[in-house]
Amino acid sequence: MSIVEVRDLRKQYDPPKGVLAVDGVSFAIAEGEIFSLLGPNGAGKSTTISMLSCLLKPTGGDAVIGGHSIIRDPQAVKEIIGVVPQDVALYPDMSARENLLFWGRMYGLSGDGLKTRVDEVLELIALVDRQKDRIEKYSGGMKRRVNIGVALLHKPRVLYLDEPTVGIDPQSRRSILDGILALRDQGMTILYTTHYMAEAQELSDRIGIVDHGKMIALGTHEELVRIVGEQARVAARVDRDLDGMVARWRETPGVEQADLEGNEAILLTEDADEVLPRLFEAAAAAGSRITEINVSEPNLEMVFLHLTGRALRE
Amino acid sequence: MKKIAAIAWKDVRSTVRNVPALVMMLVAPLALAALLGFAFGGGASFEIAATKVAVANGDTGSPGSPTAAGCMVAGLLESPDLSDVLRVRRVADAAAARKAVDDGDVAVAVVIPADFSRVVFGDDPDATSEVELYENPTSEIGGSIVEGVVGQVLADLNGARAAAAGAVALRSDRAGDPPAARVAAAAAETFSRGGGTASALRITQRAPRVGKTENEVSVTGAVLAGMMVFFMFFGAANVARTILTEDRDGTLPRLFTTPTRHGTIIAGKFVSVFLTVLLQAVVLLIAGRLIFGIHWGRIDAVALLTLAAAGVAGGLALLIISFTRNAAQAGAVGSGIYLVLALLGGNFTGTAQTSGVFAVVQRLTPNGWLIRGWDATLRGGGAGDIRWQLLVTLGFAAAFFVLAVLRMRRRFA
Repeated sequence: MSIVEVRDLRKQYDPPKGVLAVDGVSFAIAEGEIFSLLGPNGAGKSTTISMLSCLLKPTGGDAVIGGHSIIRDPQAVKEIIGVVPQDVALYPDMSARENLLFWGRMYGLSGDGLKTRVDEVLELIALVDRQKDRIEKYSGGMKRRVNIGVALLHKPRVLYLDEPTVGIDPQSRRSILDGILALRDQGMTILYTTHYMAEAQELSDRIGIVDHGKMIALGTHEELVRIVGEQARVAARVDRDLDGMVARWRETPGVEQADLEGNEAILLTEDADEVLPRLFEAAAAAGSRITEINVSEPNLEMVFLHLTGRALRE
Repeated sequence: MKKIAAIAWKDVRSTVRNVPALVMMLVAPLALAALLGFAFGGGASFEIAATKVAVANGDTGSPGSPTAAGCMVAGLLESPDLSDVLRVRRVADAAAARKAVDDGDVAVAVVIPADFSRVVFGDDPDATSEVELYENPTSEIGGSIVEGVVGQVLADLNGARAAAAGAVALRSDRAGDPPAARVAAAAAETFSRGGGTASALRITQRAPRVGKTENEVSVTGAVLAGMMVFFMFFGAANVARTILTEDRDGTLPRLFTTPTRHGTIIAGKFVSVFLTVLLQAVVLLIAGRLIFGIHWGRIDAVALLTLAAAGVAGGLALLIISFTRNAAQAGAVGSGIYLVLALLGGNFTGTAQTSGVFAVVQRLTPNGWLIRGWDATLRGGGAGDIRWQLLVTLGFAAAFFVLAVLRMRRRFA
């Protein structure tokens, strides 16, 4: 049973000639599922979240959240969603507790119920001891935790998280990812956007890969990796004439694809063990020396490269 | 309603915690009022511009007298020695003189009666004549200057009448001319008998707006009223700008993702602006009373004027915010607008200028009406005396508010 159904969603700024930020995106999310939208910056992830949050009006299509259309019944949609924006959106001159109390009132909570829920959320985000400190005194990770806590106050059925781990330390990131998995275990449905392949892979039940406003692939991690078959990804750097080496490696037996990305060559191969010696030989024959080489097993980044010809981080 | 209160309370609390904003809203107007008050002598009223005076000389003269006494009064007012403080023009009659005051063309009208010379040069010891001063109560020291000049002339004429009466009395008692010393003594006795209110020639004063209860306005009070109005606009702008800073910082969009209607959020912002400015005004009024001993006036007029000022300051601040893209732009544009309005409205000059183009321009600004309202209130006027100032100010507030709401509804749709 889908709690989120997105149908041919479109957003064009300043139509008819403006930027088409989201171009006919469709997907569905089952109740209790973590669904990730994976794509590079500017792919249309945040615009999609903004439309599903009823912040932006779509120029086409619709989405139904918990049975309510984002176009016809946005107020009802807002009752059941929690939104964690990409940037921390809190009042820095107020404490964590004051922020949570204020946002709780905006979600319609009041009285003892509000105070009890704020206490619970403070426990959840592990900030009971620092609850009276102003947000401006918090570390980036602590701010992110409060940012998430605000969206949990009214116990939403669907939680949107728009790149919640950008710019924070590994320890805080770990804490946030563990918290998201715990929420899923409690039955919450989660829509997560990221451009970090590892996060999408670790968290998601299913992943939608977006690029230039379009959904270019959708499925479980295993289903998506199958798109590129069993290919391994080899990233190599040489001390001279990288362009020439990429051309030579493209002709090397066992190399199925070779592209230049910045100052390194990206190669796809079915059997890395067999191909690696040939790459060194070809380099030596060309008078070049390989200075760095990395081999990766098939993953989402390779899927994106395979589908778009570009690396995910570009 | 709870959500509106929550948003308003959050903003008011943020402003109270913002020390630079508090300095601008409270300390700056008090410091400026103190400085200007001390510079101009604290409690004394003062006048900078020449006071405009209309003279209606109805004196028809006296049979056998070579000069009409009314011409002496008018001539003295027009003398070059007084040209730096009085600018006098003649008008046809008393009605025209009073109308000039009512229209704001002049600050004071001097009406010399038809029987003036007959009383001065006549031989009836019981006859009296009154020169009328019809004065705009909002003119500061100009009325006092005119009163002093006219009063001096009337005192001299009363003295001359007394001397003449004394000499006549002495001659009738004895034959021959009496010695000068005895004439002087008799004149003094006659003058003192008829002095004060019993003098033949007297001044009557009338004010068209605020009656006999009007108070002396202290410089500090007038300056603080002007500064308070000026800084209330800045205070309102400071709070209203949070709409733009919240938009930039993402909290406004986040508010829009909660099940809170846009109208509720905007209403909460409006209430916070109004309450903050109201709080600012109340603190300044209390501080003015406690620190400078300012008697602000009757409570009904003070309360209504303060509410109207908070309303118009809030409305204008929100209107400016609704048309600007970011907080920096709003700050720059708003400061310019507030400064121009303050200069045109008389926040820095008070209501000394009551006529001419400047007076007309003053009436085109909410500041001008508020300053006039405060001037009348400081002089003891009640709510009825400032009804026009209140109505016009509230009209400005309503217009600003409606335009701001329409603009914001489009902007944040």
